[in-house]
Amino acid sequence: MSPSLVASSEDTRIYEFAIMYPADLLQKQEAEFIKEVEGYFSEAGAMQIAKDAWGRRGLAYPVKGHMEANFVIYYYELDPSKVKEIEQNLRISRNVLRHLVVKPPKNYQILKYSDVYADWQKNHESVDEVRTREKEEKVKEQVAKKAKRQVEKAASERTKETKEDKGVVVEAQLSRKLEELISDDSLDI
Amino acid sequence: MAQKQQQQRRPDPRGKKCPFCTKASTRYLDYKDYPTLKPYTDYFGNIRARYYTGVCLKHQKMLRGAIEKARFMAMLAYRK
Repeated sequence: MSPSLVASSEDTRIYEFAIMYPADLLQKQEAEFIKEVEGYFSEAGAMQIAKDAWGRRGLAYPVKGHMEANFVIYYYELDPSKVKEIEQNLRISRNVLRHLVVKPPKNYQILKYSDVYADWQKNHESVDEVRTREKEEKVKEQVAKKAKRQVEKAASERTKETKEDKGVVVEAQLSRKLEELISDDSLDI
Repeated sequence: MAQKQQQQRRPDPRGKKCPFCTKASTRYLDYKDYPTLKPYTDYFGNIRARYYTGVCLKHQKMLRGAIEKARFMAMLAYRK
């Protein structure tokens, strides 16, 4: 599902046409409308590369009184001089609510909207999930910090103890040596 | 005391990296890709400033173009 987006000849380019039409058309009307639109392209001598019908979709704001609309995305290879003609036809066409012509970049991957949506649904995290994950991470971090602090505390205490012990040992040794020295009879002071 | 002051300070919003530069340097942002565009608009539908999102200038310009196209096709709201 990714035909090459490099134009086959020097005179043609690849264009992406997005067309929005009302969702409340009857099936017969819709078929007629699609035929009409594709007629514009074939009239201009365009070659279809891909077609992606999104189907019914909610809109972010009402367009000509419609809160829902159908979307179709076409990928056509055609002569750049014909784009103006097609746009003119689309503008005049009664059922086209909005249309947009885009020149996709060279390395563009044509993906089917339904596939992308299914993938997104599988992989995305909901807001709640993100929140719980962040909370858990925070708790983990705190626990780790606490453990680290405790370990450090214990370590510092141990070193203190050993130091004190050493001090006592050294004193004892010194006193023993002194006594030995003092009690040594061969010494003549 | 010094530690406490450090904890109270807010994180610097300028310390963020551009999310489009980090993942294989995005060359083109698609206006049809709703889930990637949505986080860069706020509740009212305005485009979030670069200062807060950390997007670099190159990608912010691409983002603006994509969002404006998406708005025209009624995928994103102009104003909520």
